[in-house]
Amino acid sequence: MPMRIPTCPETTRRRSPRLQSVSPRRKISNSTTCDPRPTKRKRSSGLDKKTPVAVEPTAMDCDNPELSPEIATETKESVKRDIAPFLTRHIPSQYAPQGTPEQREQQKNAGQTSNTSFCYRHRPDLKCRRPADEPTMEQLQSSMDSLPDADRQAVTHVWSLYSVAPAPIRRMMLQGILQASCFAQLSYLSTEIRELIRIDFISTLPVEISFRILSYLDTNSLCRAAQVSRNWRALADDDVVWHKMCQQHIDRKCTKCGWGIPLMERKRLRATAKQMAMRAKDPSLFTPATATNEITDSTSELNSNGKRPAGSDDTAIDNNPSSSPKRTCNSTISASREASSSAVLPPTPKPPQTLPWKTVFSDRFKVEANWRRGRCNQQIFKGHTDGVMCVQFDDAILATGSYDTTIKIWDLATGEEIRTLVGHTQGVRCLQFDNKKLISGSMDGHIRIWNYHTGECLSVLSGHNGGILSLHFDNTLLVSGSTDHTIKVWNFADKNCYSLRGHTDWVNSVRIDTDSRTVYSASDDSTIKMWDLDTRSLIRTFTGKDGHVGHVQQVIPISLPTYQKPEPTISSRGASPVSGAGAGTGGINTGVGGISTIGLASNAPPSTLPPASPPAPPMFPPSSSIAPTGLFPSISSMGGSETEADPFLIASVFSNPSRPPPPHMLITASLDGTVKFWDVPTGACTNTLFGHIEGVWAVAADTLRVVSGAQDSMVKVWDVNTGACQRTITGHAGPVTCVGLSDSRMVTGGDDGVVRGYLFRCEREEEGVVGEQ
Amino acid sequence: MAVQIKLMSSDQAMLVVDKEVAERSVLIKNMLDDIGEVDEAIPIPNVNEAVLKKVIEWCEHHKGDSPSTNDEESDSRKRSTDIEEWDQKFMQVDQEMLFEIILAANYLDIKPLLDVGCKTVANMIKGKSPEEIRKTFNIQNDFTAEEEEQIRRENEWAEDR
Repeated sequence: MPMRIPTCPETTRRRSPRLQSVSPRRKISNSTTCDPRPTKRKRSSGLDKKTPVAVEPTAMDCDNPELSPEIATETKESVKRDIAPFLTRHIPSQYAPQGTPEQREQQKNAGQTSNTSFCYRHRPDLKCRRPADEPTMEQLQSSMDSLPDADRQAVTHVWSLYSVAPAPIRRMMLQGILQASCFAQLSYLSTEIRELIRIDFISTLPVEISFRILSYLDTNSLCRAAQVSRNWRALADDDVVWHKMCQQHIDRKCTKCGWGIPLMERKRLRATAKQMAMRAKDPSLFTPATATNEITDSTSELNSNGKRPAGSDDTAIDNNPSSSPKRTCNSTISASREASSSAVLPPTPKPPQTLPWKTVFSDRFKVEANWRRGRCNQQIFKGHTDGVMCVQFDDAILATGSYDTTIKIWDLATGEEIRTLVGHTQGVRCLQFDNKKLISGSMDGHIRIWNYHTGECLSVLSGHNGGILSLHFDNTLLVSGSTDHTIKVWNFADKNCYSLRGHTDWVNSVRIDTDSRTVYSASDDSTIKMWDLDTRSLIRTFTGKDGHVGHVQQVIPISLPTYQKPEPTISSRGASPVSGAGAGTGGINTGVGGISTIGLASNAPPSTLPPASPPAPPMFPPSSSIAPTGLFPSISSMGGSETEADPFLIASVFSNPSRPPPPHMLITASLDGTVKFWDVPTGACTNTLFGHIEGVWAVAADTLRVVSGAQDSMVKVWDVNTGACQRTITGHAGPVTCVGLSDSRMVTGGDDGVVRGYLFRCEREEEGVVGEQ
Repeated sequence: MAVQIKLMSSDQAMLVVDKEVAERSVLIKNMLDDIGEVDEAIPIPNVNEAVLKKVIEWCEHHKGDSPSTNDEESDSRKRSTDIEEWDQKFMQVDQEMLFEIILAANYLDIKPLLDVGCKTVANMIKGKSPEEIRKTFNIQNDFTAEEEEQIRRENEWAEDR
């Protein structure tokens, strides 16, 4: 300080005469006169608020108050002598209007290169408004007014000179001013400058960069950004940004924020990805309407009354290989529904939808928030007179099968019973429907195929020597599990039927994965088995020290988009499971039951699949089993290997590049009270979900969550990625025997004969809260 | 001995840098690939000396990094705004400098630096209320009271977590 203070007045004094007024009548507000360039208006407004400059008069006044009068006397001459040439040189249009055009051109160029080529503050095309300036300027004006005339001139001249100076000279001026300033003034500067250098990045940067910035925001911040200003809103609500957000969250859990949003169509997401990438660079390319008019099915579902487009039914049956089995009428349903309405063009094309991606995202976000908080509308379906053993639903209807031997079809919207299918003579243990037909299996040993739209029983399949506990069909293949310990595979295409043998007790659950040509089964013998449809033999048994210790009631194969191959472990079979292309990678696989169905997945094969099993010649004469409808005349009494598979078979299933890899994961429920996750390629149990007090009868899953129902009357919702229990829901008066799940709905059936529905797509006003976290 | 090249900033300042460092800029790299060896300074007309120095400082520090993968698909997936420590410190500059660095990174085509700049701005936005955002960037609220209320309601859903 002591070093500096003396220089203060000295410098000022030395410099002051040269800094005298140019045009005494000019006031602050118009102090800048004069810029020849089109930036004039902005420049003046810029100067207006250069409050740091105001330091200068303060310095002069406080350090050398008596200086001003002297200066005033010199003013007139110094203007002519020193300042006029300076102004003439830098503002020729005003001070040297007669200058030659070349000169002017020169000046212009000089000015442009020297001064702020893309200065944020002074570019006229930038919309930087500064409302905060007004008070500051008023204050400045009033303090100016209190000054004597001469001082006012002096101050004004300093500003004028500065404002017309080209950048290098400004910089020199500033250097001098800084040198002349005491710490008090420097401190003032540093405070003010922090306030002054605030840039509206989003409005000012090139659009593609603004999109990039916004794409780094989380949902909440992005929504807040949309509330900042009109400019911000236009960019923060843009499809480019929300399309990315959808890609990141929908049907998958965002690894960053832990949120996943219920299923929507990945294919559409991908199909529009390129458009969005182009739009990110040039937003004029695609108007929001054209960019989003491909969002159809999944979104229309949201707002429609849940009715399928008429006519899509027929095509869907053949082309949609994903369909759901009886109890696991879970997400598979919503997936197949979407596939059926999107992969197949309905005869009457719907008018293009123009929902912005933000709306898509927010609709689904709301559903997920409802799941998390347990906010839902509850429904109760009463009518069965004995325990309900199986449920499945789609957008419009719910089908339930019961020990009272009947199947009931319900209207989901009203909760009313539509019709009852009567024919089985003992309890109905399993059912599955698609758009056309419903297939049910009963303890009476028969499988019945119904037209559930009319209630007519179309055919009866017999073949098992015991009750039918489970079934699952996909495309032309039907798989059934029975109390006779066998699994039968029925091929509707060639009327062929064969058995898979290996379980030593009841087969409680069967699932087929058409793409990878594999079947999964769960049994009372405490094991889960994976079968190959090509060789009709066992691929692998999921058991071992981490395996179930009670009857396994349900198995669900599923592929998660977030799947990561676990550390290689030697499987119990000693085979090297994963080495080939595709198998076990994190790619989106087509899971059984269409967790990720054809049309949604990148590596999904075309929807016209060949029959899953090679058409084997009927090696055996028609079985003596009665097949009343004439279906399946060639029920083979044998077929399928009873022995464990050799490593070559495992390798051929998992490592064959021409064969789509099987789903990555199995989710199983057992009467030992646990739900387990298994890694299919290695056969290892990767997670065990504890929490149910008694045996787990049923489980359903999609890529976001797992729902389980148990003997303890409870329903639990689990995180499918971590296995953490998210919610426990009570309500049933007895064991929960079956559960169904879609992206926004859950249905549970109980031994008490009651079916309960929970709809998580609802407005807040009408909802209740279920369960505990 | 590393090959050096000269760069000329918009304000006519000459900077000498290792070729390897300068080639973090795809623009410069392509230019050098096209014209081969040059003695003359390469003009960088959109970037002034102070900013260019800053950008070169970043390139120096990151010269060993593996070349950036231009995989749009993958980077849309990671919305992470994590910035490594050195970069965070590097970005502790006033908004004008940050603004200029972003523009320079865009112009010079240095994608990782552009990302760091964008993430830095994103972090300035994150977690703030609309009013706080306006304050941070000196933005005037140009909505009417009714509009503001309507837009607030439109975006209310995101607050529900």
